[in-house]
Amino acid sequence: MTSTKISVQSLNLYYKDFQALKNVNLEVEENQVTALIGPSGCGKSTFLRTLNRMNDLIEGVRVDGVILLDGRDIYRPDVDVVNLRKKVGMVFQRPNPFPMSVYDNVAYGPRIHGEKNKRKLDEIVEKSLRAAVLWDEVQDRLYKSALGLSGGQQQRVCIARLLAVEPEVLLMDEPTSALDPLATLRIEELIQVLRNDYTIVIVTHNMQQAARVSGVTAFFLNGDLIEYGNTDVIFTRPADQRTEDYITGRFG
Amino acid sequence: MDLAMRIKKKKSKATMTSISMSLQLRYDRFFKFVFFGSAAAVSLVIFTIILFVAFQGLQTFKEASALDFFINTTWSPPAHYGIFSFIFSSFATTLLALLIGAPLGLAGAIFMAKIAPQWVRDVLRPATDLFVGIPSVVYGWIGMTIFVGIIRDNIGGSGFGVLAAGTVLSVMILPTVISISEDSLRALPQSLEEASYALGANRWQTIRRVLLPAASPGLLAAVILAMARAIGETMAVQMVIGNSPQFPASLVLPTATLTSWIVVEMGNTPFGSTINNALFLMAFTLLGLSMATILLVRVVVRRRMV
Repeated sequence: MTSTKISVQSLNLYYKDFQALKNVNLEVEENQVTALIGPSGCGKSTFLRTLNRMNDLIEGVRVDGVILLDGRDIYRPDVDVVNLRKKVGMVFQRPNPFPMSVYDNVAYGPRIHGEKNKRKLDEIVEKSLRAAVLWDEVQDRLYKSALGLSGGQQQRVCIARLLAVEPEVLLMDEPTSALDPLATLRIEELIQVLRNDYTIVIVTHNMQQAARVSGVTAFFLNGDLIEYGNTDVIFTRPADQRTEDYITGRFG
Repeated sequence: MDLAMRIKKKKSKATMTSISMSLQLRYDRFFKFVFFGSAAAVSLVIFTIILFVAFQGLQTFKEASALDFFINTTWSPPAHYGIFSFIFSSFATTLLALLIGAPLGLAGAIFMAKIAPQWVRDVLRPATDLFVGIPSVVYGWIGMTIFVGIIRDNIGGSGFGVLAAGTVLSVMILPTVISISEDSLRALPQSLEEASYALGANRWQTIRRVLLPAASPGLLAAVILAMARAIGETMAVQMVIGNSPQFPASLVLPTATLTSWIVVEMGNTPFGSTINNALFLMAFTLLGLSMATILLVRVVVRRRMV
């Protein structure tokens, strides 16, 4: 039994005159991992960023269409972007911990949302780091700079930092593209654990990764959503020739 | 036949390459020498200046007592060569300039780097850079005709003094503070900002809790350079500080800084006289104090940051 967490309806996005997304319609299921695949520049990252309105930060971006989160349009003018981003958090391509201690990184979110109680913060930090499967590795160096950690650990600090604000949806923009295979494996295992509690949308360049971690896959090409459906169907019996060409590596 | 020719051709090509390589190597050596020579010449000039000033200055102590020189506030040669008033005024004007100029400049930098739309920045940035090119006598003159009058009418005294000098200096250090702080804020990776926004932070929280701490080494450099400029500024200060060798018991009492007093006295003291040597010693003291302050600021801030 699945229910729709995010419903995207006839979404168009323009960078000035360039149309980056063309009439995209997509349903993101709750507690499911949805992978977005497609060649570079196909609009999959842009699409991901519309889901928590990160594109608002870029000048010259115009969006029309409807994105419903739990049935409510997130592009309505009265929507509080701060609350939206608390609910829909994001992990970026390159690990981007703040230049401060591991503890302060994870406590950043709760702090800006008003949590001052030291004991409560300690609890949140530990819980989040455990959820990101990082606690055992960093519990002795919580108060040292997060920049001293390895790339994979830094990415998990970023995930822990995100979990600390208790989001419902996790957006991941090629979260392992800057990591080595072992660190990638650990992040993928983490995604498998997190899918029980969160709705995850992940952009990936790595087809095997999409096949390994996701339940639903969506294929983008030149701003069009070509098709989406159960990952095993997309990877074994795609409906569209272009999807098959991309998945089998016949694309230039 | 064909093969032999090809080998020969290849060989000649190889020798050509090795010749040009060695030429390149010689160029490399030559320029290494040129650059090393320039660096050495620059260091030599600086060291010679410092040594000369120190040597000339230290001869003051043949006639004046060292303790008297540094802690006495009375400057009345040949009886007393006390420069403490000047030291104090130098620090007071610099501190005042920083108290006003640093927050203002930082706010301007934040505005320009992170808040202003692109076209505003396109206007402000060149304006800030032009600002640096205004000669200090212009600042001094404006200070003398406008600031001094305003202070005299509203606060009291003659208007000349530490307050006037500090205010003029605070304007003078603004472009330094703004441009260096702005550069260091802009140099931060976009990803830090995005990470903060993606956690639901608003712009002010992002600036205060993420961007400013991350840019703090650059901001520190801005303040240090501003401080160096303020403590060494002569012309503008000399025009508004009143040029009286007395302790600045109030902000509006005419006084003199190390730099301004050297300017006032240097014209009427013969080279080699004790009073002239004392001026050199003041210059040397200024040099030492500004270096010491810069080091101190670095150490204090670094300790706080860890």
